[in-house]
Amino acid sequence: MLKVAGVDAFYGQIQALKGIDLEVEEGSIVTILGANGAGKSTTMKVISGLLKPKKGKVTFLGKDITGLRPDQLIRKGIALVPEGRAMLAEMTVLENLEMGAYHRKDSEVDKDIAQVMERFSILKERKDQLAGTMSGGQQQMLAIARALLARPKLLLLDEPSMGLAPIIVADIFKMIKEINQSGTTVLLVEQNAKQALKIADYGYVLETGKLTTEANAKDLLEDTSIAEAYLGG
Amino acid sequence: MLGELINPYYLQVASFILINIILGLSIYVTLASGQLSLGSAGFMAVGAYTTALLTTNFEVPLLVGILAGVMLAGIFGIIVGIPSLRLRGVFLAIATLGFGEIVRVFIVNTESLTKGAIGISGIPQLGREILDKLEVIGFDPEILGLKANQFTFLIVFILLLIIVIVLVCFFSRQKNSRVGRAFSAINMDEQAAASMGINVTYYKVLSFTQGAMLAGLAGALYAHVLSYISPADFTYHKAVEILTFSVFGGSEVVGGAIFGATFLTLLPETLRAISEYRYMIYGILLVVMMAYRPQGVIDEQMMRWFKRRKGRRQQHGTENK
Repeated sequence: MLKVAGVDAFYGQIQALKGIDLEVEEGSIVTILGANGAGKSTTMKVISGLLKPKKGKVTFLGKDITGLRPDQLIRKGIALVPEGRAMLAEMTVLENLEMGAYHRKDSEVDKDIAQVMERFSILKERKDQLAGTMSGGQQQMLAIARALLARPKLLLLDEPSMGLAPIIVADIFKMIKEINQSGTTVLLVEQNAKQALKIADYGYVLETGKLTTEANAKDLLEDTSIAEAYLGG
Repeated sequence: MLGELINPYYLQVASFILINIILGLSIYVTLASGQLSLGSAGFMAVGAYTTALLTTNFEVPLLVGILAGVMLAGIFGIIVGIPSLRLRGVFLAIATLGFGEIVRVFIVNTESLTKGAIGISGIPQLGREILDKLEVIGFDPEILGLKANQFTFLIVFILLLIIVIVLVCFFSRQKNSRVGRAFSAINMDEQAAASMGINVTYYKVLSFTQGAMLAGLAGALYAHVLSYISPADFTYHKAVEILTFSVFGGSEVVGGAIFGATFLTLLPETLRAISEYRYMIYGILLVVMMAYRPQGVIDEQMMRWFKRRKGRRQQHGTENK
């Protein structure tokens, strides 16, 4: 479904990605793991159009999407939940959800919003609350729900567990699994490798801008060298 | 009878209030997408000089001159807006301030065209032109019991009032439209806005250009109301004054620009004795506002409160029946 081939990306003079190749198959959950500064978020930025790669190609459903802007990608079916949740803090929960469907012009937006609020009951309870006043976990839930309202084929999640309590992280991952089961392909960037590998089908490991390992998630979980380096023992 | 009630001086002040409201709106609409522009005085000068030169030198009709001023200010808005996309907050403010100064210095130095620092006088007056047109078809202000100069001031005021009402309606509606939502999403978090499918570049340039066109319109009207303009009207002080209208009144809502422009135009008029200290008062006002009420006198919460009260009163009304 999504293919990244030989991507080099730079921040000014500093090369952040060196020849990244990866692939996401339709219907799967793929995770990109790595320590701080390994280039996980940069990879996400390249795929989601926030950063233009210097070299290489990104294709989605057979079409070249390299260097397209985020607002063009969303029309092709790629939605991003940015790192740090990116709330529209001074809008209400409901308004945030409505903004998620911004590019859509079909008549089913209201139906979808109702459906999403059924699924995440906390959002329904708090639909008139300002998004900025909610807790971190609730904001993350809202960010994911908002991205779903774009009806994406591929959902990009950038560190959804960041800054959340372990029990809430477990909830969020359960949610991601459910979203995947209802037909959305997921690409997940995570530092919390253990949790991510538990729900993922396939994993890539990044180290200082290069891919070092890739394997089925199950094998990665069992691989002792990976466990030592990233899974925290 | 009507003649005794109409005082040209009050009408003149009221007309300036209306022009200042348009200037306040120009700040409001650029700030709506999170862009702080100090270029209003520059765009105003573009609008004013365009129409002044066209109407005095080439006898172009006023309407055409004013529209040309608005369009040229808009084009400058796009030209300045696109490179400014990379700039944020205070850096954008400084860049736009630089633009304003370039316009002013350009005007001062192209004496052959703009008469430099002396300025342009004898610009056709809006009220006078309208009266001339009406006199051709046999209208006489005496019918209304007015002297010619009373009528010209009155008709200018009415015309400006109509323009302001149209603009206020337009921008209030825009706030709740797709465009307005995109502006406020960009204002809150640009990356989030982009990830929702909002074309950030397009909407930021749109908001900046709208602001530039409003300032251009205000400048063009100013030229035809006062009939004399000079570079001294469009200095850095003017830019700050315009910013104050919106920031003092409240930059989140259209009502803020209206209140700010009205209050701050009336203040030096009513307190003539202290008009020398106007900029000092503006400065103090800005400092105090930033410290205690950064969103301005009128904010969204206040508007919501008004709406709720109004709603409640209407409910009471139906109950009493």
